[in-house]
Amino acid sequence: MFKNYLKIAFRYLSRHKGYTFINVLGLSVGIACCILIALFVRSEWSFNRFHPNSERIYRAWLEEFYQGEIFRNTATPIPLVPVLQAGVPEIELSCRIASMRPPVKYNNNIFNEEVNMVDSTFFKIFNFPLLEGNKQDPFSTANSIVISERASKRYFGNESPIGKNLEVQLGDDNILFTITALAKDAPMESNIQFDMVIPFSNASYIWSEQTRNSAWSNVSVASFFLLQKGTSVENVNQKAATILQPLVAKNYKPGEYNVRMQPLEDIYFNTTLPEGERGYSDPKYSYILGTVGILILLIACINFVTLSVGRSATRAMEVGVRKVLGAERKQLVRQFWGESILLTFIAIIIGFLLALASLKHFNQLANRELFLSLNSFTLIFSVILILVIGFIAGFYPAIVLSGFKPIQVLKGKLNIGNNMGFFRKALIVGQFAASIIMIICTLTVGKQLNYLRNKNLGFNKEHVIIVPTNKPRQLGNALGKRYELAIQKNPKVISTTTSMFSMAQLGWMSLGYSDDKGVFRQFRFNAIDENFIPAMGLEVVAGRGFLKNNTADSNMIIVNEALVMQYGWKDPIGKKLPGKYPQQVVGVVKDFHFESLHTPIAPLVMALKPDSMFAYSSDVSYNASPQPRVSVRFREGNVQEHIKSLEAAWKTVAADENFEFRFLDEALAASYEQEQRLGNIVKYASFLSIFIACLGLFGLATLVVVRRTKEIGIRKVLGASVPRIVTLLSKDFILLVIVASVIAFPVAWWALSKWMEDFAYRIDIPWWIFITAAILALVVALVTVSVQAIKAALTNPVKSLRTE
Amino acid sequence: MIELQHISKWYNVGGKPVFILKDINLKVKEGEFISIMGPSGSGKSTLLNIVGMLDMPNEGAYHFFGESVYNLKDKHRNELYKKNIGFIFQAYHLIDELTVYENIETPLLYQNVKSSERKAIVADMLDKFNIVGKKDLFPSQLSGGQQQLVGIVRALIAKPKLLLADEPTGNLNTAQGEEIMQLFQQLNQEEGVTIIQVTHSEKNASYGNRIINLLDGRVEPSLQNASH
Repeated sequence: MFKNYLKIAFRYLSRHKGYTFINVLGLSVGIACCILIALFVRSEWSFNRFHPNSERIYRAWLEEFYQGEIFRNTATPIPLVPVLQAGVPEIELSCRIASMRPPVKYNNNIFNEEVNMVDSTFFKIFNFPLLEGNKQDPFSTANSIVISERASKRYFGNESPIGKNLEVQLGDDNILFTITALAKDAPMESNIQFDMVIPFSNASYIWSEQTRNSAWSNVSVASFFLLQKGTSVENVNQKAATILQPLVAKNYKPGEYNVRMQPLEDIYFNTTLPEGERGYSDPKYSYILGTVGILILLIACINFVTLSVGRSATRAMEVGVRKVLGAERKQLVRQFWGESILLTFIAIIIGFLLALASLKHFNQLANRELFLSLNSFTLIFSVILILVIGFIAGFYPAIVLSGFKPIQVLKGKLNIGNNMGFFRKALIVGQFAASIIMIICTLTVGKQLNYLRNKNLGFNKEHVIIVPTNKPRQLGNALGKRYELAIQKNPKVISTTTSMFSMAQLGWMSLGYSDDKGVFRQFRFNAIDENFIPAMGLEVVAGRGFLKNNTADSNMIIVNEALVMQYGWKDPIGKKLPGKYPQQVVGVVKDFHFESLHTPIAPLVMALKPDSMFAYSSDVSYNASPQPRVSVRFREGNVQEHIKSLEAAWKTVAADENFEFRFLDEALAASYEQEQRLGNIVKYASFLSIFIACLGLFGLATLVVVRRTKEIGIRKVLGASVPRIVTLLSKDFILLVIVASVIAFPVAWWALSKWMEDFAYRIDIPWWIFITAAILALVVALVTVSVQAIKAALTNPVKSLRTE
Repeated sequence: MIELQHISKWYNVGGKPVFILKDINLKVKEGEFISIMGPSGSGKSTLLNIVGMLDMPNEGAYHFFGESVYNLKDKHRNELYKKNIGFIFQAYHLIDELTVYENIETPLLYQNVKSSERKAIVADMLDKFNIVGKKDLFPSQLSGGQQQLVGIVRALIAKPKLLLADEPTGNLNTAQGEEIMQLFQQLNQEEGVTIIQVTHSEKNASYGNRIINLLDGRVEPSLQNASH
């Protein structure tokens, strides 16, 4: 029986090649999309889950209440880990991670490396396997260093790194480390990344003893805890509070200083806490892509159904005969379902091959290192796909066809599919609605991203490179000034400036204070030099910029319009911030976007000397490190050569330092990377969805035309012209696309408005995009249908009528 | 074997019933060879379909081997049908995607006959009807007469007691038609298969031993008597 079904399925599919081709192609493309998106979403959701104990690993975060404001930080005080480890029995192991980017030297090679200074429990808590060297005790001495495969390759090629010595700059010292072990690279789906790992005992080179032992207001390291099995996190939070209370009592009332545990698995998708070292991802993007994947698959399934329905007239005859031969309905149901599952199976194999072929491109698009292999995930995924698609796609033929009455079918009395039934119309409308939604979204997302890229930020971002000094403030400023001097004579350089943060850091420092009325206020802050405003092209709208060699300016500040507005100053020059700060406003700059366009422009203060500002602030927080950067504006021309000369100059002032640089415009574009990536993926997806929908439409048009051959013949005999016949045949389809548009518009508008909420600066969704999408879908549908219609209209009527 | 009592079938057109069959009473004994004749639209095919359990009347009773067909559950009726009735059509209705062999085998599949048994039965029949050489061909590769022969073999494969044929020679030329009729006669006389055929042709009807004339859904009484 089964063999018989299989045989007839194969024969049927090979006999109707066009039908099979359209069905399998549409479905394979849909499945390929779905596989790629599933891989991406899976990668998103598997972040930090590769540690066997990941469910028991927690990261501590700090919640401070100050003057009615809440401050959250994922960086924590250094003494937190030893204090909690000693006092909370539920903590099995704990580990501090201090991430740094110091220069590392081997022979004459210097690279800035991601170095994690960690407690020795690091390799016990986390799953970062050691491949070579002392796997049991990699931190036998304070000068041990573990290197990742990637970094090892950079320094030693294919040689074994074990026993080699590296010089790492910690604070002001260059320390010699000996490589004791080689570690596997951290997977991409990890918030903890490293090139090298050194013992935490080296902390003394960086932090004072006071900071290391008792500075509860300084946040410097990430703190991770492995809790005992079955531990209640609430319990640990409470114990931590009890232990910490006496230690912070001097500055905080009870309940104002809280340490809380956040599950490791929660870090990547939790957008409510500060980003920490590795950033997070909005789970929204997984949902959006997941929806897109399901939509495409649905469109492909609908193809399958509409085509089966179209063919049902032919299949009905077979159903009739089989019933006369004694077939029961359930046997026929099984046969049809078997057929659609077989077709799906073929499509899945092709889909996998397509996905495999496009994986490299998709990885670039999504910025991932996804790979496709035959593992339990892909197997289960395919089985589910086969069953779901086979079930959905085979539903109509299985249920409807098997119900036909044999007499009616065999007598030719059953009038099925001469016109498109309501069911099929609804399916086509659904397909086109989905496609139109995707086109609208693609166009609008593209436009919004374009707007972000081209929006006037209030400063000139072109032809600027940012060179970080990677040094603490005093040293960094000194180095920056030396470097500026070294390149000032360079004819390619227009201007230079050294500042704590450059325009490439999209989060500047945030300072908070209580004003004279006791109201807590916050503003953004940057320490700049007198060249910053002219070099960046900022516009001074009142007063003046900082002047060179004007010592009085050390006590002056420059603010932006947003700050003036917030304080309601009519004449801002000479004003002081209401409260403790002694600095006077000497100039006001026009608002510019020093943060990404996701957020509105915040009040800003800029000063030459930050220390006195810090001294009067009660809260200082920052995401980017406050190590000074040099911004260099250069002339247009051969960029590579410019960079070479800038690098040569760097070597004259900092021979031991790696020359790092970033183009400002690229750095700014990176802040919209996630949106850009999403936009690209949606673009491809909408193109494919239209393609699949058109395949289905083409198949359906073919069927309708074939079925109406006789009618067309008669109409031609009666004198109908070719255009009239084409119009007749296309009319129905056009109406469907119009109905689809009407459904798609509000859905697309709603989805886009939701997405746009993320941007403080956004375009109005232009109405013409809706019209464009509808017209696009209409034209594509019309072309598809017309090809068939014209062919039918040109056929000699004698031919079609004679066959009757 | 077959007993039809007061069988009527009608359609409602504009609230009025239009009769296709009206109060048909018919008894068929095992081993009979009956021809149903009558002009187009007289209800011949409908009567045949009702006898073949493919169609239901609006009124009346039907006993098949003493069992009241309309009081059976679907499953039992299907069982009764599968075991006892073979159908032959004017348009052959072979399945295009299956070979001669597979077409003939299909009824056995639906009766859950074991694979080895199926092979034996089909081989036997192919041999008997001299179409072994055609077994791997598809219907489109056969002539009309050959296709109808396959249709007959398919109808006979499950050894039915009743063979129903709806104008079996309607699409065939005279020579082919005659062969089919001789085959029917042979089946009826030598193997005792009860046959009911619908036909337009007096000549074909003469192969049988009884003729039922239908006119406007009724059995013509005069001729019915005459044939007795």
